[in-house]
Order: sequence, then structure tokens, then C-alpha cells
Amino acid sequence: MKVLESQTAVLSNFEVHEHLAELQSRKEKKKRHAPPSNQGMVVDRTLEWLRLPPSPLSQTPTTYHADSIPTLLERLRPYDLTKGELIMILNLRPCSTPALNTTIEDMEVRFTEDQQMEILTIIAEVLGQFDPPEESEDAEAAADTSMADAQGS
Amino acid sequence: MFILTKIADLVQIKAADFSKPSIEAIEDNINAKYANKVLQKIGLCVALYDILWTSEGLIGHGTGEVNVNVEFRMIVFRPFKGEVMLGKIKSSTPSGINLFTIFFNDIFIPFEELPAGSEYSHSDQLWIWKMDDVRLYYDTNETVRFQVIEEDWHDQTPAGPSQTSLGGPDEEENAVAPYKIKGSMAREGLGVCLWWDN
Repeated sequence: MKVLESQTAVLSNFEVHEHLAELQSRKEKKKRHAPPSNQGMVVDRTLEWLRLPPSPLSQTPTTYHADSIPTLLERLRPYDLTKGELIMILNLRPCSTPALNTTIEDMEVRFTEDQQMEILTIIAEVLGQFDPPEESEDAEAAADTSMADAQGS
Repeated sequence: MFILTKIADLVQIKAADFSKPSIEAIEDNINAKYANKVLQKIGLCVALYDILWTSEGLIGHGTGEVNVNVEFRMIVFRPFKGEVMLGKIKSSTPSGINLFTIFFNDIFIPFEELPAGSEYSHSDQLWIWKMDDVRLYYDTNETVRFQVIEEDWHDQTPAGPSQTSLGGPDEEENAVAPYKIKGSMAREGLGVCLWWDN
């Protein structure tokens, strides 16, 4: 074994989630012979962790899409955040000022309160957000209509 | 949290695996060797990401195994220093709090890295953050945000028998995890998620 490059790229949780979910579905769909058990275990556990609330990937339907990452990078460009800060924002999706403060170094010095609110708004717009009361109502409403549809037809 | 690492290795496909398509045989071989294993100073390997290059298969002399040189990329769990991530509280001791993330269990927050005013409650076996008259509990299984401050590598390669001592200390050393993360929850916004997100 030889390590050619210890770090060729940094992956966000979303990208890892996509890849592992595909591995899992390939296993289930194609009835491919079982992969090595150690791989099956770590993949299952990692997916379980990524889908555990309050991870943003725990939401169904997912609010992350293939173009979320470039869109977010583009929109946060004026704030001049570092790569590490952006990765953390992608993974954690901070929804409050204290949460944002953990991902951005010296936030109070670098940004005014207005700017902090702007960043939070952009994150919520691009990556979505948890909104339990409203969402459950929406979900219920959707369920109601689909029930009504089912009964009507 | 995750990175890609480029590795070159020799894959030996056993005759029993000849019924598999070559690509699957190579993937399985790599995953069997690396998945869920810690590479020193690299991190915890999760799964194969992609195969970049393979040589022709060469049949070894005497065994009938097919030898293929492969270059590939692995998904590796390796949070960078200063990264903020989520964890769950596994247990609390007077020396600090142990965290886990289902697939990785060796995260430790020493008591010095808890916010000022934290106290250990021996009766509850929990850490409590006291601010004036508010008491906030670090309950077991609670999801917390923490910041990675240090990593601790421990090479488990056997060092060979020692001449002086027998058994005792060696066994203790073997129990040390190969890759440990030390974290902090002292900054504002870190600690139990529920305290900050409402």
C-alpha cells in the first residue's frame, strides 16, 4: 500500500451521503453479491448518522440538491469565507447566530449584525431549514388532500 | 468531516472470485481491506470512492491469483482541526465527556474544554453548566456541537516482544484506540444543540 496523496479533496456530508446511498441502493437493487461485511457495516452506520436529526440531511424530502453547493458558494462569495467555513456551513446548516458563530471565525469582528442576518437568510434560502410547526401542517395538509383525492377517485 | 485520499495498492484476486466481474472483484477486495479501518495520519476509511487506474492482471507464479495494481480514492473520515461537527454524548466522567457518532466512537471532551461554570454531578454522573441560577445538563445521548482541537494517533502495529516485561503493560497499550479526537465545547454556540437552536 502506498498513499499517493493524503488529501486530494474535501467532501461535504451531502456528497458522502449521495455516494453511500448509491452504494446501498446498488446492493439492494441489482442483487449484487454482498459486499464485504466491514464495508456494509461502516456504510450503514455512516448513513444512519448522516440521517440522524438534527443533521440537515435528516429531512425528507431532502432540501439539498446537486446544484445547492455551487449556488451557495456563489451567493456567499461577497462575504469572503474560507473553504473550511463553507464546508462547515454546508454540513451543519446553521440557523441561528450562535450556531453561525461557531462556524465562522471572529464573526463579530468580521461582519456586522446585518451581514450575519444576511448570511443566515442565504443559507436558509439555498439549503432550506427546519420549520417543524409549519412543515408538519403542510405535511398534514398534503396528506389530507391526497386522502381526499384517493377517496374522490 | 470527510476527505478523499488517493492510494495505490496491489490487489490480489483469488480464483474463487473469478466468477465476479473484474471491477466488482477489485472493489470488494479494496473495501475488504480498507473499509472501517484507520490508516495512521490519514483517518478512518469509510468506503471506496472511485478507481482511477488499473494495470493489466498478471497471474502470479504458483498461486493462480490475478495481481492487479490499482490506484483509487477512498472516502476517509478526518475532520480538520477547528472543524465544528455534531456528536452524541456517550458517557460522562469527572475527567470529561465521551462522544460518539455511531460510526466513530473515540471523541473526548476534557473538562477544561467545557464552558466556565461547569460542574460534575457525582450523583447523576453528568456534567452541568451552571450560569447564575440556570442549570443546563449535558444529558447522555443528547446531540452536541463540538470543535475538533486535537487528534491523537496511536499506531497499533505490533512492536515485537519486549525483553524486559511480560504481558502487563503491553496489554494495556493494545486497548488504546488508533485514532482519537479531542474536542472543545467552551465557545459560544457549542454544547447541546437544543440550547442554541430554538
